[in-house]
Amino acid sequence: MLGIVLDLVIIASLIALAIQVVSGASLFRGIIHFIVMGLTLALAWARLGAPDLAMAEAAIGAGVTGALMMVAYRRLVEITPDHNPSRTGSRSRLALPIAVGAGGLVGLLGLGATLSDPEPGLAGLAVLEALQDEALGNPITGVLLLYRGLDTLLEIAVLLTAFLAAVAVTRREDLDYSITTRDPHTPLVGALLAIIVPLTVLVSVHLLKAGSHDPGGAFQAGAVLAACGVLLVLTSRVSASSQSRPLIGLGIVAGLISFSLIGLAAMLRGEPPMALPGMWAVYFIETAMMLSIALTLVLLFAGTESLRRNQHG
Amino acid sequence: MTASEGLALLLLLAGSGFYFAGTVGLLRFPDAFCRLHALTKADNLGLCLICAGLAVLSADWRIASVLFLIWLLGLLAATVSAHLIARQARQAGADNIDPPEAS
Amino acid sequence: MDNAALYVLAAAVLFGVGVYGLIVSAHLMRKLFAINIMGNAIFILMVAVAGPIDGAPDPVPQALVLTGIVIAVSATAFALALMVRLYQETGRATLADDNGPGNDD
Repeated sequence: MLGIVLDLVIIASLIALAIQVVSGASLFRGIIHFIVMGLTLALAWARLGAPDLAMAEAAIGAGVTGALMMVAYRRLVEITPDHNPSRTGSRSRLALPIAVGAGGLVGLLGLGATLSDPEPGLAGLAVLEALQDEALGNPITGVLLLYRGLDTLLEIAVLLTAFLAAVAVTRREDLDYSITTRDPHTPLVGALLAIIVPLTVLVSVHLLKAGSHDPGGAFQAGAVLAACGVLLVLTSRVSASSQSRPLIGLGIVAGLISFSLIGLAAMLRGEPPMALPGMWAVYFIETAMMLSIALTLVLLFAGTESLRRNQHG
Repeated sequence: MTASEGLALLLLLAGSGFYFAGTVGLLRFPDAFCRLHALTKADNLGLCLICAGLAVLSADWRIASVLFLIWLLGLLAATVSAHLIARQARQAGADNIDPPEAS
Repeated sequence: MDNAALYVLAAAVLFGVGVYGLIVSAHLMRKLFAINIMGNAIFILMVAVAGPIDGAPDPVPQALVLTGIVIAVSATAFALALMVRLYQETGRATLADDNGPGNDD
């Protein structure tokens, strides 16, 4: 009973926040509401029995996306300080009926699937049975790496492509746009970083290791590490640089390269492509993917292709 | 309901009360400094009470110590971010740190 | 999972809100908010529809959604970069089609 009340509160908040996001008075508040909506969605994932998604949503969906939107907003404001866009554009009479129709379609699809098909998903059943023998106790990591390896590989490729495209459309002379605090010597910040940065690294390594049997994995760990990087950029411990560095380039492609090579090496042994040779490969790929995800997200945040370390840290 | 469950319930309710007060303060107080005042004081205590309530409920010292760590980290983050926001607000010289468009 | 139907309905409403926002918003960042809300609605739908298997949640849709969250943030990042560039070049953060009457941006 209490659970249903909790669900209703979460759902009502989600809908109210979504309405605020699309119809709120200012863009800045829209971003804030969007972040809050992501955090509320993390609660919804927890209620739906998906702790992996809850972690990813809080770190990536709310955290990283919100940070990226804030940076973009700040760039708009720097060009036009009183950037105050009108709330709505076309006052289309069709908008409401189309929205109701689209929502109704989704609802019908979902209700049809929930009410008529109580059979558990065959793929999920197969995964859970097959993973009984594997050392991977977390079935989601199992699906990501063992059964849908190609999807995960291509996902890393999409992340890399998005990063390259974003760098390509960002104007070179704008790379030095400061998104950092103007005064890096603010007291307390150094002390905070001295505690937070090692802890974040520790937490992400823990999440990575836990991902093989408990909620966690490369995506969540990468997001936590990315948050650490974003903090370093925000406090101008590292800042955007247009000078390319081999180590950073290697880090960006590490996940893609190692996953591809290990996946292709399976073909040399006469196994199907993407078949992983053992747990060491799982850990190796997850580590490389974590580094790539974290580095790519930080670079997307900084809007640059490379970073340099500032001395005053 | 056992005694420890009752205690946990009491702590959780008290924590929620402090969170509620802090949020009301955040929404209703006029300027940045008052809002920070409401947030940092009330929410830190609220977090403390909720962590304590959950620790009592779990009856496991490992979970309790993790909750204690969470509270410490929350305190740390709240302290520094409140300091940064207050500093920024004072440097801006305005009594409202909202961007100009947020009327 | 008895709350599945509730979350399916929530997904439907969120998707509708997203579609509405996508149509009526002129500013590209608002359109991005709306697209992200639509994506989140579909994620909720996918996880809510998949029933539990022997008490444990179905891992396949969860893995797909995990992938989807990262894809969504990649696409959003690229779209934001495009929007900033468009604003730098033209001084507008709206599409040409949306500059009809009723829009003073």
